Amino acid sequence: MTRIREVALFTALAAASHPACAADIEFWHGNSGTVAEAIAGACDAFNSAQDSHRVTCIAEGGYEAVMQKAIAAYRTGDHPALIQFFDVGTLDLMVSDAALPVEDLMPEVDWSDYIGGVRSYYATEDGKLLSQPYNSSTLVFYGNMESLAGVGVSELPETWEAVVETSRKLKDAGQDCPFGTDEHPWLMLEQFAARHGVPIATEQNGYEGLGAVYTFNEGLIADHLKNLQAWHDEGLVRLNRDLATGKYFPAFLAGDCAMVEASSGGYADAAAALGDKLGLGLAPVYEGVERHNTLVGGASIWVMKNHDPEEIEAAKAFLNFLRSNEQQIEFTRRTGYLPVTQSAMDKIDELGLSDDPAFATVGVGVRSLGQPGDENSRGIRLGFYLQFRNVFREETQKAFNGEQSMQAALDNSVERGNALLRRFEQTYAGAQAQ
Amino acid sequence: MGHAHFVGQWSYAALLMPLLALLGLFFYVPMALAVFWSFFLERPFGGSSEYVGLGNFARVLNEPEFWNALRRTIVFMAIEPGISVASSLALALAAERRLVLSSLARNVIVWPAAVAGASIGAVFLFIFNPHIGILSPLNGLFPGLWNPGADGRDAFTAVLVAQTWKSLPFNFLILLAGLRTIPEPLIRAASIDGAGPWRRVRDIQIPLLTPYLFLAFLVESVESAVQIFGLVDTMTEGGPGGATTFLIYKIYRDGFQAFDLSGAATQTTLLLLFVGVILLLLFRIDKYVKYER
Repeated sequence: MTRIREVALFTALAAASHPACAADIEFWHGNSGTVAEAIAGACDAFNSAQDSHRVTCIAEGGYEAVMQKAIAAYRTGDHPALIQFFDVGTLDLMVSDAALPVEDLMPEVDWSDYIGGVRSYYATEDGKLLSQPYNSSTLVFYGNMESLAGVGVSELPETWEAVVETSRKLKDAGQDCPFGTDEHPWLMLEQFAARHGVPIATEQNGYEGLGAVYTFNEGLIADHLKNLQAWHDEGLVRLNRDLATGKYFPAFLAGDCAMVEASSGGYADAAAALGDKLGLGLAPVYEGVERHNTLVGGASIWVMKNHDPEEIEAAKAFLNFLRSNEQQIEFTRRTGYLPVTQSAMDKIDELGLSDDPAFATVGVGVRSLGQPGDENSRGIRLGFYLQFRNVFREETQKAFNGEQSMQAALDNSVERGNALLRRFEQTYAGAQAQ
Repeated sequence: MGHAHFVGQWSYAALLMPLLALLGLFFYVPMALAVFWSFFLERPFGGSSEYVGLGNFARVLNEPEFWNALRRTIVFMAIEPGISVASSLALALAAERRLVLSSLARNVIVWPAAVAGASIGAVFLFIFNPHIGILSPLNGLFPGLWNPGADGRDAFTAVLVAQTWKSLPFNFLILLAGLRTIPEPLIRAASIDGAGPWRRVRDIQIPLLTPYLFLAFLVESVESAVQIFGLVDTMTEGGPGGATTFLIYKIYRDGFQAFDLSGAATQTTLLLLFVGVILLLLFRIDKYVKYER
């Protein structure tokens, strides 16, 4: 009994001795596996580095699950101070009026330190950062240099023309899958459009307002998709469903595909599977087109509204902690995601880590994100975009199946996509984007 | 004697309350909310929502994708329950015949009931893989014959087979239980009168089993419309080219992946109406089902 009283007294004293600004906050995220472990590690490091605040990191099981739970929690007022939302959720958050823009909240931070392609994706039209970029990856080009050497190619192709030429040689040499990709719009549409500096929709891909209209059914993107279909019919390009593994990236790991375009996040697996044979470069562009930045993929952290000032202070402290060079470098080491600020990049160089296998994607990935940007390579800010992605896949799948022409697929995607945009616009009529 | 234990109708009500409360909380409230939201343009994070009357319904009913998803659902409902109940009936009759190993089979057939839809989907995905699955030799003979990843009809068939397999245990149990209720003397009398096994099945067992067949068919019809989500999500993700985007899967995608609450709510309301109408039609058959013996 005395013991219980002692414990109670001690607890009370401990509580009383806490600094006045102390707050316990939660951070919800959608990662799992090694990434979730790295996030948990960052939380522990934050909690043991200072006494003022305490953050509890909770893995919600997936990006979509976080969004669903965040919506439910926000509607009932039970939402945490910090939530990680995936890249394509940015517009939903932006128009939700549920979050506080980080740049308003922490004007003292040098936000211009963020790498161009990362910053623009999560910023408003006039460049104000809304959320703090977190786990970030981008599209890079992988090659099996042994297969390429077999047909006399020693450098990873940098243009589509060279990719096709190399693919023909590979096919003639008996390679079943010269170039692997998939009809996911992240690959075929968004990243392609960004690095070629062409828009997929008006209003600068929606950055200037909700009145955007899809336009990718003509011009370079339409030409490229028709090319892809022709190359697919020729046996140069293989899609997921053409491959025994059912997915093109594992097929690359297994040596079936000689070249693939894929997320930089796949590097660790590729390095483990292919070792010295692995080649890494920038995703191909057409000859004569000026190369622009690729889009950042992954997620960013948002500060949610309707929290006490103490909780907001705790949220700011945790964001500052995550932004530190040491934490970024540690996160990259553990997960293969890219560092997001120039100073973290510089630090990696300074520490001589650039050649470390754990940091091998950093050079290519950050170079890809840091290419000159224009109004078409900032990002995608289009309503009901996830539904649109399904529409695009459905229509282009039909084209690759031969059920309709690629032009019809693109026309249908544009028409159905525009209907989604108009409905989104109507849903948020009167709501001013922040 | 029954009255000795219960004080009156209020105790029945009290005993039912927990169940009703659960049903209300997890079924009727969400259902009512879906109907409510279908009249609004609802923003995911709340804030103002705009009343649009029947606007959402007008839009959804004008979308070819909705009708395509509904058509796929109807085709699936028209084919799958029949196959499922017929297969279960064959298995139940065989198990009831007390053939060699039939008692073992009775157990084995029920086991899949314990496997989640998503797991079944993952297994069938492997089985139906056009390159390494059991049908891959067919592709060796006739290249391109079977590829659920590229051919919509193949994908539809794959989901249909998987759902049939998934539904077997429950229907098997119902029908086996039904067969057990048929009085033994009837069967024996028929045997003595010279009826062979097929004759007994046709003239005694199946007619006396109709209430159970009807129940199995009814349940399976609803299941085939609203429970195939897990299989579709793991096997085809609604593809290729939307060939397996059934209405229930479209609702999941619109609501939970794209956060289009109004669109999903509207389609949920329409799906509820559709299933309701189907059930009403099926219950019209009910008067032909003989419950008395």
